[in-house]
Amino acid sequence: MNAVARNLTVYDVYDRAKNGPKMDEKKWDYEVVPQTAKALKKKYNIKMDKKTIIPEDKELIDGLFNAGLDMLVECGVYCIDTGRVIKYTRDEVLHAIEAAPDHFTFGNGAEAHHITPRAYNSKKAPIIQGGPTGSPCSEEMFLPIHQAYAQEPIVDTIVDGVLQTVCGHDPQPGTPWELMAVRSEALQVREAMMRAGRTGMGL
Amino acid sequence: MRPDDSHEVSQLNELKIDVSALCVGAHYALAGVNVMVEQMPIYGGYAGGLEETTIVDVATTLNSFVMMQGTWHLDGPVHVRWGITTSREVLAVAAHACRAIEEHTHLMLGNQYYTLAGPCTVMCLLETAAQAITDTCSGREILSGVASCKGVTTDLFTAMEARMMGEAAHAVAGMDTHEVNLLLDKLIGLYEKDYKTAPTGKKFQECYDVKTLTPSDEYVKVYDEAVKVLTDLGLTYWDK
Repeated sequence: MNAVARNLTVYDVYDRAKNGPKMDEKKWDYEVVPQTAKALKKKYNIKMDKKTIIPEDKELIDGLFNAGLDMLVECGVYCIDTGRVIKYTRDEVLHAIEAAPDHFTFGNGAEAHHITPRAYNSKKAPIIQGGPTGSPCSEEMFLPIHQAYAQEPIVDTIVDGVLQTVCGHDPQPGTPWELMAVRSEALQVREAMMRAGRTGMGL
Repeated sequence: MRPDDSHEVSQLNELKIDVSALCVGAHYALAGVNVMVEQMPIYGGYAGGLEETTIVDVATTLNSFVMMQGTWHLDGPVHVRWGITTSREVLAVAAHACRAIEEHTHLMLGNQYYTLAGPCTVMCLLETAAQAITDTCSGREILSGVASCKGVTTDLFTAMEARMMGEAAHAVAGMDTHEVNLLLDKLIGLYEKDYKTAPTGKKFQECYDVKTLTPSDEYVKVYDEAVKVLTDLGLTYWDK
């Protein structure tokens, strides 16, 4: 890995989305992505077995990482609004990986969880984030549904559902009702945590 | 939202983005908050089959940290036919992608849960357990769910599925990979034959007393049935 002046930012990415190479979206979907993935599968001789859900073969694990890294560098990412490809160098990708956080705090106070990387064979269980994961909730049931998750002792943080209506209105994206719904969801999840005696849970 | 919450921004299938997501990413960067970048690669979609989807999943995951300077990545390989994250194929994609990244980096990864069966059914709980076991034993840091019955029907999910997600994860943390694979092969085999007749299950208000917020006797019995299946497969967590 060579030295780079600084790590990429989302602003650099936007500039590349404006100025990168032009491409037709269908070509991206039906040619670039499948053909590159297929070629990398061949290059690294990758063969998976559906009966072995978790890989046990180090060579396969290494091949998949290198193929994924190559995929990101060779293809880049397609911006659907500008019709252009955002390209990265290999060094930029490697530096971003190295610079990524290796810990963070999720939630606060007594409910704070300090998240650190865990290995596949770690005896430490992962963080359990309980909730409907974006599924639709009725206005009437939103609060009790989330309180039920918050009161489960094994649940560490909450991932909320979405209100199907707010004040009886459809919170259609891009409308004032959407803002009302999002605000209401956040406040009700906090209320649910508080009622479960777990103020400070991460959301 | 507080800085110590997880702030979500999503990529698009496959290896695509829109400008509004970049604006969201810019807002999070300026605010200095925890950033969770989400994306669910489609098995059988643009990428193709098992190996190709896994390669795309690795690339997509890495992109979360390059493009958005993410704090953690929320995965969710999904089956194109069934719309779930618990089928044999997508569990293999998730596990292989995670192990590949876990072996070579310190990146923090999560996975999200979409089952085919709904609440108050043994099938839903076994699907959930299979994914929790897969995610835990492939090195994920965060399990996020459960959107039962594909997460598309109002109120059709409950905290009992999250309880199973958590308990199954705690049951297998630290277990030998080969043993886990033998267990998973048997466990998935118990529900994958029932996809075409998967039970829809019952809504939250049918599964809980909505005032006391306690699960129904019926659901507790169903939960115990699922626990018995997992215990018979060799997990000792519930013997304590």
